[in-house]
Amino acid sequence: MIKSMRQSTLQTLGLGTVLEIFKNGKLPVESGEIIEQVFGRPDERGCLVISGANGIVGAGKAMQLGSRLEPFNVPVVGIDFPGVPDGINRKYQGLVGTFGKKGADRIMANVIRLSYDGGNLPKKLKEFKPRFLLEAIPEILDIKKNHYELFRKNFPGIEIRSVTSGFPGSELGVTIAHPAFPHEINKIWEIVEPEPSDITKLLWALGLVPIPVSDNWSFVLDVLFCGITLAALRYHETTNMPFWKIDKYVRKFIGPNPFRAHDAIGAAGANFLTWSCLHHLSNAYGQLFEPTAYVVERKESGQNWYPLNHFRPLVNWSLNDKEQDEFLSWIQGPLFQMASLLLYERRSHLSHINAIGELCAQFTNGVIADMRRTGPNSTIKRVESYHKLYPEAAKASWFPDVFEKMDEPDWQQLYVNAEHDGSTGVITIGRESYNSDVDSELNRAIDWFHAEGIKNVIVTGDFHLSTQMVGADTRDFFPALKRVEEGIRISSSWSKTARRLHDEFKVSVGYINGKRCLGGFLELLMHCHYLISVEDARLGMPEVTLPVVPGMEGCHWSFRKTNNENRDKILKLLLEGEQVSAKDAVGWLIDYAGSLTDSLQIVWKIAAGKDHGLLKRDVKEDALNEISFDIKLQPADNPGMEVARNAIIETIRDACSTDLVNALSTQAKHSAEFMISDTCKKGRIGTEFKRLMDV
Amino acid sequence: MKGKETMFPKARIPYGTWGSSYFPAWQTSALAEVNIGQFAGEAMNKILGMRKVPKSELEYLIIGSTIPWHWKFWNAPLVASCLGERIPGYHIEQACATGLQAILLAASEIEGGSYNVVSVLTFDRTSDSPVGVFPERRTYRRTEVLADVWDNFGFDPATGNSMIKTAGISARKYKIDREEVDDITFHRYQQYYDTKNSGWFENILVPFDVLNNQGRFLGRIDDDNGVRQISRSTLREMRELDTCITPGSQTHASDGMATLLVTGVEEAKALSLQSEIGIQFVGKLEVRTLPSLMPEAPALAVKKLLNRTGLTMNDMAVVKNHNPFAVNDAIFAKVLDYDWHKMNTTGSSLVWGHPQGPTLTRIVIEALEEAVSLGGGYALVFGCAAGDVGIAAILKVTDEGSAK
Repeated sequence: MIKSMRQSTLQTLGLGTVLEIFKNGKLPVESGEIIEQVFGRPDERGCLVISGANGIVGAGKAMQLGSRLEPFNVPVVGIDFPGVPDGINRKYQGLVGTFGKKGADRIMANVIRLSYDGGNLPKKLKEFKPRFLLEAIPEILDIKKNHYELFRKNFPGIEIRSVTSGFPGSELGVTIAHPAFPHEINKIWEIVEPEPSDITKLLWALGLVPIPVSDNWSFVLDVLFCGITLAALRYHETTNMPFWKIDKYVRKFIGPNPFRAHDAIGAAGANFLTWSCLHHLSNAYGQLFEPTAYVVERKESGQNWYPLNHFRPLVNWSLNDKEQDEFLSWIQGPLFQMASLLLYERRSHLSHINAIGELCAQFTNGVIADMRRTGPNSTIKRVESYHKLYPEAAKASWFPDVFEKMDEPDWQQLYVNAEHDGSTGVITIGRESYNSDVDSELNRAIDWFHAEGIKNVIVTGDFHLSTQMVGADTRDFFPALKRVEEGIRISSSWSKTARRLHDEFKVSVGYINGKRCLGGFLELLMHCHYLISVEDARLGMPEVTLPVVPGMEGCHWSFRKTNNENRDKILKLLLEGEQVSAKDAVGWLIDYAGSLTDSLQIVWKIAAGKDHGLLKRDVKEDALNEISFDIKLQPADNPGMEVARNAIIETIRDACSTDLVNALSTQAKHSAEFMISDTCKKGRIGTEFKRLMDV
Repeated sequence: MKGKETMFPKARIPYGTWGSSYFPAWQTSALAEVNIGQFAGEAMNKILGMRKVPKSELEYLIIGSTIPWHWKFWNAPLVASCLGERIPGYHIEQACATGLQAILLAASEIEGGSYNVVSVLTFDRTSDSPVGVFPERRTYRRTEVLADVWDNFGFDPATGNSMIKTAGISARKYKIDREEVDDITFHRYQQYYDTKNSGWFENILVPFDVLNNQGRFLGRIDDDNGVRQISRSTLREMRELDTCITPGSQTHASDGMATLLVTGVEEAKALSLQSEIGIQFVGKLEVRTLPSLMPEAPALAVKKLLNRTGLTMNDMAVVKNHNPFAVNDAIFAKVLDYDWHKMNTTGSSLVWGHPQGPTLTRIVIEALEEAVSLGGGYALVFGCAAGDVGIAAILKVTDEGSAK
């Protein structure tokens, strides 16, 4: 019996818990077996058909899926009208960039293109044994329905998914797999289906991120993205502030550039989709979603929102404190109200709603996390102040009662979950960068294990929303650029959290199962008694390149766990910022690297207290003997990196020459002092701060 | 027009929906670096935002400028695009009378019933004014090259005289005393600085941060650059360029924009910052005087306008003019038998400079704001323009709320 703080997001896919993955020593579904279920055995392999394959979505997804299906000999058949612009060939250069010329040629050779007249399927299609149709044709309901009928008639039993976000599945008569972005890079797909299907499991097994959402007019992403665009438009129409400047403020406070995003996607199509989404939502939910005159105008004209290059803006705008507060009411108010609707209608797991905002709608913090930070009363007040500005929105679709549950685990553990079987637990982190929200949730998860009497713990990703661990969210460092106390606070508090993994469990195992584990996340996991990784993961401490001084004890913890001979490797890692392969880091940075199955199994053996054959590398608590910095390094990329190297060397020297207790504050002080230096301010974080916050 | 009637009964200026940039002297600010049409459009949008007027309220745009600017062919629709609203409109130009004429034309558009909200936007950049090249095969030189601002100031093709020459000729005609001209100049500076120090201009003049092509700060337009404290003795010591005309007693070229709205009666109430205040058009008149007597033309226009309307100078609560030369005020005082101390109480274009197109718009705005602060009354606005033309208009400011 597995107990958890909240439902694992993996369970929403019908894939069980994360703890079961470790217990079983394998993933809940292997790509080979699910491909066989969907496309048939190798000797009778069927194909994936993408209709509308030359469109922006069709071509993007043909590449995303084609590159993943090609190793399994599953052909991708793209069908489209004759004479439409070739969208697939345009993707070739991108493929070359990612897979090299040979790989790109191989993938392209597996994409078969056939013409389709809209009424009859190409005769040749039958030869490829279509098993799965991904429909990406224009947003006209009758045409779509006829299209499905045609396929069902010709290929009985075929799995059909529509990429639409403009119609509920109940209207279409098929289930939906809506890619968050049309291009091939973003991995998120919103899935609408009554129960998790093989197609959803297939997407997951191929390394994509399917997220189940409920069957409504426009799903979570469109509500959030079109919603924030609408909020920005209402502000524009009241104050005249130009779109580009509103974008800067929305980016500062929320994260996205809604207008720039429309232009980047292609205003002609994106404007229509935004209008369509808002139009349908307003029919269902009232004035909160009513498209404004400017959306209607741009839906017709397809005009960009930003001025043309020769009319780059001349007159700047700014907001005083009072105006800023009103701005937030115009933007956050409707966003929070829309989120109340999503929650009221239970449109998805809270972590999903939150993640869709962050991973697809460019929110700095997901909308649920944002409301949680704001608190229930202030969230409600913010919406009410919006209603004073725009009373029509108050008439419908406002559910303040949903915020009464803000103290419950679904709200409180958006990024970090914990599961246990009575003796061994797993902490899963579903955010790719570490921030103060993750830190708080991690502390709550540790507290929960203590309350549950769990002494053995695994710390890892969530096998779903987080596919890698890229380090600290540097936006959390912005306050530390101005005040050294802030830097000390962040560094100390995060380090104390990390130490809990070492100090408060009998056995703790960090497990790296994604593509990479860098910076703050590597520092966090190295605090575990054991650190295990899949062999092809890349590990690194890129702080010196930003530049910052690692703040979560990276400058002394790993030295305390290794012998003198390996110190140069750690120094190089810290001072060059280059990544190493997990299998090359065994013995000095991590304890084991192996295949996915092997590594899962060894993690479970350690965590469950079974015989595993690995020696525990203890942390030396006394001051270390003197560290030699006489090593040959690659030349620094820039003067800032050179300064950071010296600061890191100083930090290593001071933090290692004191005992473990004092090392934490020594490390934090160095890290914080570097953060307020000109070198840091001129570096990536300082530049980012200026770009995002100094508007 | 006779008998204190209004010439455009359907037209109003909604109180407070106006604004102007500061007018930095030419080549002293970031405005010297920009497309002034684009700047004006964006600045107007910001002014409307500050005045709580959504730009979507605008139906029509009349732009006024005198100096060619990049893409001027595309006219008011382009400027409207720069302010973010796709509305039609046209461009008008009448040299230094442009700013007032544009407002009057907006009122006539309202009166004609075509629109209910017409926006007026005037602007000019004297800095780096363009040079025109004109092939003229009949002439000896075959190709004429003309620097738009300076060559035009220096030569009226109809008379062969410069602007400054017309001031000298007029001063001689009216036997104006140099000392009086210096006194007028000094007094205008005092009026300007008293007003500036009181903070009164902040109701009208809006500071703007100008960005470069990378979106970085290029410069802040927050002062009438080029205006300096001047003493009576300094004025006295200045060399005469023509009779009574010194560098101190004439205006200077500058850059800037100014905007206001003209609307129907109901729209004025809805958009006004104080709906009880009514602003109407009483009358307007232009005269063209004898060759090279430009500074007397406004006085003649005012005289004729008063005659037509049945009003007198004593009826005027506010009197303001565009006075490129202090001589203009001396002549006006003589012709109208009016104490020049009583006019231009917030300073004038003699002091704060002359960007041409928007000059009289700013003067109208200052006049209306002053009339409101006085509790209402008639505002007389006038000025001279190239071609020995004078233009004058009377506006009436009332507190309609209290009248009820």
